[in-house]
Amino acid sequence: MRRRVLTRALVKKAWWLWGGVAGVLCILAAVAALYPRRVPTIAVIPRTCGTYLWEAEHTGVERVAPRYGLSVYWNAPMREDDVQGQIAILDRELKRKVQGVILSPVEALPLRTSVYRALQGGTPVVVVGTDLGLAPAKNLAYVLNDERRGGQLAARRIGLVLGGKGTVAIVGISNQLTSTADRARSLEATLSEEFPQIHVAYRSLALPTVSQEQQVAEKMLAENAGINAIVALTETSTRGAFYALTEFNKAGVIHLVGFDQNMMVPIRTGGLDAVIMQNTNQMGQAAMTLMGEELHGGAKHGYVVLQPLLVTRENLDSSDVNEILNLAWFNP
Amino acid sequence: MRKTTRRWLLGTASVGTMLLIVAALPLAYFVWKDRRPNFHDSFARNGQGELRQDGWKSFGGTWQVVDGAMLNISDDRGAKLINGSAKWKNYIVEADIQLLGEAGDAGFVVRTSQEEVGVDAYHGYFAGLRDIDDTLIMGRADYGWHEFQSTPVRYGIRTRTWYHLKVLAYGCTLLASSTTEKGVVTTALIEEPKCLASGRFGLQSYSTGAAWRNVVVRPAAKSDLDAMLQARSLSERERTKSASSAPGSWMDERFFEPIQRELREHKSDLNAKTIADLRLLAPTLSSQVAVHGVVTLVSPMIFIQDSTGGIAIPQAHTGTPVQIGDSVEARGDVEQHEFSSVLRNADVRLLWSHTPAPPVSVTASQAATGAFDAQYVETEGRLVSRQRGGGQSVVLKLDEGSQSFMAIAENPSLAATLNKLQYGSRLRLRGICVTDRSYAQNEMPFALLMRSVDDAEMIEPPPWWNTLHIIELIAGLLGVSFGLHMLFMSVKRSQLHAVIEERERLAMEMHDTLAQSFAGLGYQLEALSSEAPEGSPMRAQLESSVDLVRFGHMEARRNIAALRPGNLEQLGLEKSLEEAARTILQGGPVDLQMAVRGEPRPIPLRIADTLMRIGQEAIANAVQHGRPHTISLRLVYGRSSIKLTVRDDGQGFTTMGERSGFGIRGMKHRADGIAATLRIRSSLSHGTSVAVRAMLPQSILSLWWWQSIRTGRWRHWLHG
Repeated sequence: MRRRVLTRALVKKAWWLWGGVAGVLCILAAVAALYPRRVPTIAVIPRTCGTYLWEAEHTGVERVAPRYGLSVYWNAPMREDDVQGQIAILDRELKRKVQGVILSPVEALPLRTSVYRALQGGTPVVVVGTDLGLAPAKNLAYVLNDERRGGQLAARRIGLVLGGKGTVAIVGISNQLTSTADRARSLEATLSEEFPQIHVAYRSLALPTVSQEQQVAEKMLAENAGINAIVALTETSTRGAFYALTEFNKAGVIHLVGFDQNMMVPIRTGGLDAVIMQNTNQMGQAAMTLMGEELHGGAKHGYVVLQPLLVTRENLDSSDVNEILNLAWFNP
Repeated sequence: MRKTTRRWLLGTASVGTMLLIVAALPLAYFVWKDRRPNFHDSFARNGQGELRQDGWKSFGGTWQVVDGAMLNISDDRGAKLINGSAKWKNYIVEADIQLLGEAGDAGFVVRTSQEEVGVDAYHGYFAGLRDIDDTLIMGRADYGWHEFQSTPVRYGIRTRTWYHLKVLAYGCTLLASSTTEKGVVTTALIEEPKCLASGRFGLQSYSTGAAWRNVVVRPAAKSDLDAMLQARSLSERERTKSASSAPGSWMDERFFEPIQRELREHKSDLNAKTIADLRLLAPTLSSQVAVHGVVTLVSPMIFIQDSTGGIAIPQAHTGTPVQIGDSVEARGDVEQHEFSSVLRNADVRLLWSHTPAPPVSVTASQAATGAFDAQYVETEGRLVSRQRGGGQSVVLKLDEGSQSFMAIAENPSLAATLNKLQYGSRLRLRGICVTDRSYAQNEMPFALLMRSVDDAEMIEPPPWWNTLHIIELIAGLLGVSFGLHMLFMSVKRSQLHAVIEERERLAMEMHDTLAQSFAGLGYQLEALSSEAPEGSPMRAQLESSVDLVRFGHMEARRNIAALRPGNLEQLGLEKSLEEAARTILQGGPVDLQMAVRGEPRPIPLRIADTLMRIGQEAIANAVQHGRPHTISLRLVYGRSSIKLTVRDDGQGFTTMGERSGFGIRGMKHRADGIAATLRIRSSLSHGTSVAVRAMLPQSILSLWWWQSIRTGRWRHWLHG
């Protein structure tokens, strides 16, 4: 009886306490209701930003993301060869607990550990553009450019412009990315199979900057007078070779077939015969589709391989090219 | 309502309102703080001071203050320097601006947020001058670029020429204007319904270095907007490309370099040598050669590198100032040095812009071989010491494995940043590796010439187990131990006080009930006895009962006295003991002798109480069983102990072993409670001696030592 009286007194005297608790709960409930729910974010990290090759991927991922209720975090190193910068961005986004990662590795081996850790932490990853060496599995899928087809397209273009006979230099051979190595293998295999009278007289490895590529191309031109065509396997080597040809007044004389679409103007103005374009727009769409399905439980693991496109002066203004180079990603 | 209640309510309401106002003031300050855009930087510090002290924060680029202007001397794409408040809404940013290189753009970012290092890594608007197509451009970045407008600038954009750029953000209207030195004005306007409403401002350049001077930010009003709109001429509007045509058009020149323009202007030497090939030239002959390379450092001298190595070019002659990242051709006399070549009397000519060279990651051991001399490298080390160099420069000394090296920063912003690093930190540093003795000071194998704030990165703070931290830790542990000990003692003391109070209460209860009843009973029995016939058995029985009651009364009084410890804390142990003994022996023939040896001092209450209780018990036992003539109490204060001895000259007893009485067992139990030793010696006809010795706690001893030293008592011990 006495205890009951005490309890009542406590309740009666502590009305302000209970009122305060109730008020705090109400405020918390209101804040929780008003606080905007975070849209799940996918970190899309290409090799670099602000270039045609990769901004097209931005358009692709932004087009598909709303279908799955996802938002896009888009950032990359300022330079295309900045491996450490890309690892830092990836690690930072994983710490921020993004729901997924779409990554185009600058190099395969150094990024493997970070991707492996992401997968171990349960973050789905779609790798775009090159094989990392990790087998596709739950949470890991690949969207690749058909590099074998790209090598074939370049070889056949060279075969066409040289009339099946001549001497070729191959610059920008890289073992850092399986994609570039595949290009080189396919190119040489197709040349030897289909154009046995075309000989590869010079090969050089890929270098990180345009000026270095230019220097290598200049040296090659100075020492190899009989070169009829150059195949440049990377965007950087394409630029370097083009600059060297222009300096030697050989632009348009020595045929240049490049890869990756960051330098398109010389196709129209002369000096660059053709470029093998990656359909990074479609690759972005496919990657975001895989990611969306993964997050909604219906993912198909494995590889999605998209075909590259040979761009010459003839099809430069075609709808296919325009679609790939569409940069209308912006959705205010 | 009663008057007092009304007054109470009024008072409560007034106090509540005042408390609310007091609480709301900091909140209001926080909400309204930094809301008014107001900023001015004339960069008058001429290279002194730190960017961060002025609120600037860089995201990429190589920033420094030179001759009253803020310069980004790198060709990074999308280098930003941000300032201001995220709460700023309507404001005008203006400054003089200059493009230092070709094929890029530079201007202001406004209403920005969530800035990161990256090409378009921020949310906000950009307005700037672009020399590729000679336009004033405006657009928005949301971690990706969307260009709204590119308005041609009459007479084009020239590098190394000052333009006045002004950007106004008011509501969802953003207006930019550029003014040439000859007064030609170009404006661009964007209106976006779902605009970004507020944000910081900043400087940004893309693919080129740039300079800004006299940066001013002030609030924008509608009248400012109207004035700028009126100044926007019809012809300019006609020249402005429509916003809808720009986005999505893949012929957007932003993504291409002005190849033809550059090629026309920068024909290079086709016989240029690689930098590594210079090592193969005859060292005794002076050879003039041309090399191509990317600029990796411009101050204190130019360094360039190609894929084969690096080279220093002291006192270079440059027509157009070169920046880090520029591809250049250098022609000069080769001088062979120990690990690399140096190009003397060299002319340096710009070939291409924005091809920055990445650093080569090397260990300190690799760099110490000299194989990377004059090259841009990245390495790690632990900071050992720091000292001032010449001018504003700072020189760091670092250790890595078996190697030590130096890092030299001449850039004041970088130097200020390095000054804040703690010794023992593990750093990742980027810079030009030089083995030249003038830098490495003949002490180290190599030194790094650092360029900007971004060249230093702390990857691991100093280890916590340095000497200072260990001392702090030990001091902290001691402090906590002491606190816990004090808390424990305080609890024990409280418990003892509670026990003593309970005893006091019991004693009073006994006094008020039992003792008084005995007194009343004795009185009644004596009355009955006096009325009984003399010599009758009844009288004898009644007198016997009176004796029994008297004895019971005495026992009760003694127990009451034993239960009441008196003011043990106030009187001290010896006085309390004496008083208790005199109370017990009151009215009897026993003589009491009291002796104290040593320096009396305060002892813990728990020990004092225990000694007191044992002493009382011993005296009571002596009186009850020994019939002594004399009882002597002896209290000895030792250095680390206290000893109480109660001795009587009574009849004594033989040792009972396990069958000792309740009183002796109680004394032993009490002595065990304070870890004291109890010794009882007795023999028939020779009295009994009860001695109890208790150790004193260390804190008491410390205090005692301190008091002894202070009073000079220690001299007596020395002299025996």
